[in-house]
Amino acid sequence: MQRFLDPAVLAGISSLDLLAKTVVDGFVAGLHRSPDFGFSQEFAEYRAYVPGDDLRHVDWNLFARTERCYLKRYRGETNSQLVVLLDASNSMQYTSGPLKKMDYARFIAASLFYLAIRNQRDAAGLIVFDDEVREYVRPSTRVGQLSRLFAGLEQAEPRARTDFGKPLQHFQQLLHRRGIAIVISDFYEEPEKIVHAIEPLRFHGNDVVLFHILDPEEIRPVLKGPSLLVDLETDQQIEVIPEYTKTTYRAKMEAHIEQLRSRTRGAGMDYRLLATDQPLDEALREYLSLRQAGN
Amino acid sequence: MGFLAPWFLGGLAALGVPVFVHLLRKHVTIPRPVSSLMFFERGTQSSTRHRRLRYLLLFALRFALLLLVVLAFADPFVRRPAADANGRLLLIVLDDSFSMRAGTRFADAKQQALAVLAAKPHSQKAQVMALGGQFEVLTQAIADEAQLRSALESIQVGDGHANFGELGRSIRALGETVHGPIDLHLFSDMQRTAMPANFADMVLPANVTLVLHAVAKGTAPPNWTVASVSAPAELADPKDPKRSRVQAVVAGFGTPAAAKTVSFVVNGKAVATRKVDVPANGRAAVQFAPLDVGYGFNRCELRIEGGGDAFPADDRSVFVIRRSDPERVLFVRAGNDTRSALYFGAALGAATQASFVLQSLTAEQTTDLDPSKYAFVVLSDAVTLPSIFEHTLAQYVSKGGSVLIALGTGAGHHARIPLWGGDVNDAHDYVRSGGAATVGQVDFTHPALEQAQPGRDNGGWAETKFFYAAVVDPGQARVAARLGDGTPLLLDRQIGEGHVLLLTSGLENLTNDLPLHPVFVAFVDKAARYLSGSERLSGSRLVDSFVQLRSGAEPVGEVASVEVIDPEGRRPLSLNEARTVQTFRLRRGGFYQIRFANGRDAVIGVNPDRRESDLEPIAPDVQQLWNGSKGEASIQTAAAAGDEAKYRPVSLWWYVMLLALVVALAETVVASGYMGTQREDA
Repeated sequence: MQRFLDPAVLAGISSLDLLAKTVVDGFVAGLHRSPDFGFSQEFAEYRAYVPGDDLRHVDWNLFARTERCYLKRYRGETNSQLVVLLDASNSMQYTSGPLKKMDYARFIAASLFYLAIRNQRDAAGLIVFDDEVREYVRPSTRVGQLSRLFAGLEQAEPRARTDFGKPLQHFQQLLHRRGIAIVISDFYEEPEKIVHAIEPLRFHGNDVVLFHILDPEEIRPVLKGPSLLVDLETDQQIEVIPEYTKTTYRAKMEAHIEQLRSRTRGAGMDYRLLATDQPLDEALREYLSLRQAGN
Repeated sequence: MGFLAPWFLGGLAALGVPVFVHLLRKHVTIPRPVSSLMFFERGTQSSTRHRRLRYLLLFALRFALLLLVVLAFADPFVRRPAADANGRLLLIVLDDSFSMRAGTRFADAKQQALAVLAAKPHSQKAQVMALGGQFEVLTQAIADEAQLRSALESIQVGDGHANFGELGRSIRALGETVHGPIDLHLFSDMQRTAMPANFADMVLPANVTLVLHAVAKGTAPPNWTVASVSAPAELADPKDPKRSRVQAVVAGFGTPAAAKTVSFVVNGKAVATRKVDVPANGRAAVQFAPLDVGYGFNRCELRIEGGGDAFPADDRSVFVIRRSDPERVLFVRAGNDTRSALYFGAALGAATQASFVLQSLTAEQTTDLDPSKYAFVVLSDAVTLPSIFEHTLAQYVSKGGSVLIALGTGAGHHARIPLWGGDVNDAHDYVRSGGAATVGQVDFTHPALEQAQPGRDNGGWAETKFFYAAVVDPGQARVAARLGDGTPLLLDRQIGEGHVLLLTSGLENLTNDLPLHPVFVAFVDKAARYLSGSERLSGSRLVDSFVQLRSGAEPVGEVASVEVIDPEGRRPLSLNEARTVQTFRLRRGGFYQIRFANGRDAVIGVNPDRRESDLEPIAPDVQQLWNGSKGEASIQTAAAAGDEAKYRPVSLWWYVMLLALVVALAETVVASGYMGTQREDA
């Protein structure tokens, strides 16, 4: 089933619904073989009764055998809230292969929505932004929420440029309830500014994950000769030589990633670098691990 | 270097195309999109410079390609020395005729010829020729400039008469051996009188390019000359009013009416002077009589005094009058023949040019005679001679004496002809066959029959009737006249230094009626002068005429030397030539002193051909026609022709196109390399 998580394979599926179902079903089927993961309504531990505890949670069978009063605790008793913040700036349109960064981001978001709503009974919402908030789907578990989320993803065509500062002011107003906030972007901004803009979400008690989407060509670009490069967001053009991309550029990019990783960790956020040629299960696994930790 | 089609240089504007492509569109490349330029920096200068260098190479190749194509269309050429490749033969013909003495014509012509020779490429072969009385080839076709220059400078102006017909014939003969192209440069005054009667004689072969260098420009200058002189070569009696006179004609060419003074100079002293009014562009006669000249050779000269024209060299005419006592002629006849001496003597006395005294004897009376005392001997029907006399006569002939033999009826059949070396084969008696024979063929070039323009009556001979003629085998003798049936009438045979003239009929008015006709007087006169040899001893000749110094027959006995002293007092013949040469050409004007092989002395006045005095040049259209006779339409000027002879254009378009092809291939290679790079970028 692993092949269904391959982005190259998924690019052939036009429907986000089917795509998300294919990804999640394949992912979940793989998870059942793993002993490390479980679901809610599942026994977690026994705890000694203290006065004031609800007597409904006392394990009376155990009391009958041992005459000791213990409470039985279960996992996943509460529903979580997932909000995906999707960067829809022009830079997300870049591609060096069959899949754009924006497409890859959609696949991840759709798969996360499907997993959250269908499997975890979590509320899920979507915020699409570039230099402002373009689309907002309120987190919900109502019937038809998944369709609304998919429609929101479909309409999120890249345009304009990224500006984290402005839309994230609105995020704080939109996200009242604690939950999981996943920011999907290529993060072409100074790490300090990024962390500064996203940090308030963490202050509200959200678990924040940064999915850094990059094309493999952006990480290790290859130029055969001097080339004229044009910025997709600003249309600025400069002439670049191959020697530069082989040395300085790679060093700068690695420094950027590392800085982003360290700063987000420092701010209590998770960071995950995803190349568009990587399978999608990495992102799903991250989500589930966060949800597990949240319980 | 030059350009044959410089208008094509306008195509150089196309050079703007590669300039536009490479300079204005140099920075147009396909931009490559990236998400962000956050981590990119502008490329360093070294890389850009490298790229521009490569493009500049392509630009240079394209620029050069267009430039070369435009140059090829403009057809550039370089001027290279001509004739080194195509082997053109340069013929330099210098006119050294008498008319070139006028003014500075000859000096100018020689200077121009030297200039053309100097402009000749070193490798080109050339030949130097002189056109005067005779067409002389002075050098072979050689490239040695020093030798050619020396030959050209050695040409001196002569006294001959140029003839372009002779030039045409010589060049046509040369064209049969030289098959390559020939450039003929003729340096002449282009005298009209040098043209032949038939223009076709002047036509040159197709491979000959004629370049005329006319040294005489414009109209001919006025010129007076002594056109003709009539004077006796021999004079016996100065008081003879019919013979003791000199008649001359003074002619003017392009002259106004003028009074001219003509002097008669004898042996350097002016003995008489006459004034004559010469009409405009006309002629006037002048006469000097009587002639008071001494015995011997008198070097006479008629001279126009005062000059006043452009050609003083032709203002005089020289001739020689030899005064002597009348010469005796031995007339030997048959015993019963008295008429022939009468007729012959009468005719001889009527002759105007010479003075002879006839001594008539019968054959029997000649036994002890010495024929060397006589000018010539006539044997009139005297076939039977005393053996001593016949022997003496044979020696006389071999040493230069001459004999006229007339065969009358006395000769008979199969009779031996004295001195002749043969017999009478037969005899035609035309009376018996019912008529008379007439003279059918006359050789008017023979001295005894000479007539310049014989009339339609065969020079007067057609009226004569011959009733009897002996038939003689001509052998090696020259037949000067024949009867209507082909029977030889007059034969001339050389024996030793002398001549034997044989008339196959008689002189007595029985075998023919020749003595009754006027032509008999002329015949006797000319025959007497021919046989006596007096015509060779004095008088006047034209330049380039020939004098026979000795006979062509094998010499009898000891070989005698001849001697010639030219007008400058030099001996033009070497000792070896003096013993062998038979004829001599009178090259210069003036007095020649000659001693013939038979021991007789002569002084001859030699004058240039008076046609040379007419300085009128050939009309320009005729010159153009002559040029056009070998296929070209225009007369080339001397300067242009000289320049053309020196250089010839060599077209470079082939080499330019070859270079353009190489550049095009290089451009293709370089451009394909750039295109490959652009595909990767895209």
